[in-house]
Amino acid sequence: MTMGQRSGVGLVELAILDALDARRAWPGRRAVPCLKVLAALEDELGLARGYAYQVLIDLALPWKIHIPLIEGQGNFGGRGNDPPASPYYTEARLSPAGQIALAAERGQIAPVPIGLINGNTHRQGTRPPFRPAAVIDAYRQVLARPRIRARQITDLVGPPDFITGCTVTGDLAALAAGQRTELGLHSRVTVTDAAHLRARVAKAAVPGHTPPSYTRDASRRVIIVDKLPPYANPDETIVSIADRAHEHAWHTRHPELAALTGLPIADIRDLTARGDYWFACLPANGTSPEVLRDQLMKVYGVSIYVSVGLPRPLPTMIRTWTRTYQHEDLPASITALENALASRRQKSLTTYE
Amino acid sequence: MRSALSEAALNGSGLPVVVLAAAVLAAEQVSFVLVGSGALWLRGEQVTVGDVDVVIEPGEANLRRLRDALSALAIRSGEVPAVHRLRDLSVTSVVTSYGRVDCLLERGRLDWDQLRRGAGYVAVADAAVLVASASDAWALRRQFKKSE
Repeated sequence: MTMGQRSGVGLVELAILDALDARRAWPGRRAVPCLKVLAALEDELGLARGYAYQVLIDLALPWKIHIPLIEGQGNFGGRGNDPPASPYYTEARLSPAGQIALAAERGQIAPVPIGLINGNTHRQGTRPPFRPAAVIDAYRQVLARPRIRARQITDLVGPPDFITGCTVTGDLAALAAGQRTELGLHSRVTVTDAAHLRARVAKAAVPGHTPPSYTRDASRRVIIVDKLPPYANPDETIVSIADRAHEHAWHTRHPELAALTGLPIADIRDLTARGDYWFACLPANGTSPEVLRDQLMKVYGVSIYVSVGLPRPLPTMIRTWTRTYQHEDLPASITALENALASRRQKSLTTYE
Repeated sequence: MRSALSEAALNGSGLPVVVLAAAVLAAEQVSFVLVGSGALWLRGEQVTVGDVDVVIEPGEANLRRLRDALSALAIRSGEVPAVHRLRDLSVTSVVTSYGRVDCLLERGRLDWDQLRRGAGYVAVADAAVLVASASDAWALRRQFKKSE
């Protein structure tokens, strides 16, 4: 995807931000109907119907990107089988960070590294996301110490960071060196006891949400799956697991394959509550929870693999960027981005209080 | 030696997990030839296996078995096309609990005999999977992936 040079945000994404800005849908002001924004965009840019809406939705989803550039109102969809409402019924406005991205692209402020932070794997691209604070820190260090070693820059940025807290495995050195590689994104799969499961359900305090009956035996060992990769559909993942627990007609003809593919699960329960996607598996009698945990890690959705690559080595990207724009006030624009992120964090804290 | 990352995606048996989807299709008695990275991996080539590509033997009975097998394998079983659509479709893809499976239907209609001649059975657990020869698999891959 082609990107804006000064923010790293995709061109279609920028066009959406621009369209919102043109309608004065600024932070803190009235959101505008998505349909109006999309109609103008699709005609102007010649985009396929529906594509721009998908991009717009992605820009607003806090579990897909670190820096949402849009604040959505209405049903923007969930992580499972909960699609967004039609653009007739949703509204959007710029987020503070979205406004900063536009200002950077227009040359009103110095560039900001939003593209490097958000990446584009959420739109089937190959650039993974990184932790905002780490990227900002790396840029500041390079600005302060231009001779900082490449290795130190890589260490400062750290590994790719996916917002749901999933574990990342893969050849991170190759990624930092600008080579194409594959990353494994893994859910957290924990063996614990039923007492812990009970306590977690109680803490969530969702009306009608009760712990499974087997948790009456507090010492019973169970497996909890949470922190799913952001691009895995939790509803489909649970179906995947349940399906592997079923008997199939071919199991008798191919017992070895059946043993390799089957999951010895007595019970699986979706305990998702308040945006916290998690489920509990009870191992079948006689099954070691540790063995089942290892098998679960291989189920699609519990782990997924994404092909990634940066256009250049990571330290080179950061160095080139700071060198190219050294005559602009980069520290100020980075601070503005940081403040926009802080205001978003503050707002989400207030929302949940 | 295969990369550390590929190892991470392997099943306990040493197989990339997604290749098990091909074994399950074989266990469901669907007639196909495994091509793509899965075939190359089973032929000993050093490739990362992201998904499974299978060329389906044309024929009504086989398409019925394929439809049934995909319905059982697919996470979104409602998305598996009906048999009459499989007769005309070029490709159908399903996401399974092992990963993504691409069924190359048109390739089967065009090249089944040739692919079948070069293919041989490889045991995946106790299921015999018909795997394209490395040369056929590379040829197909080059044909459809211009970057290689």
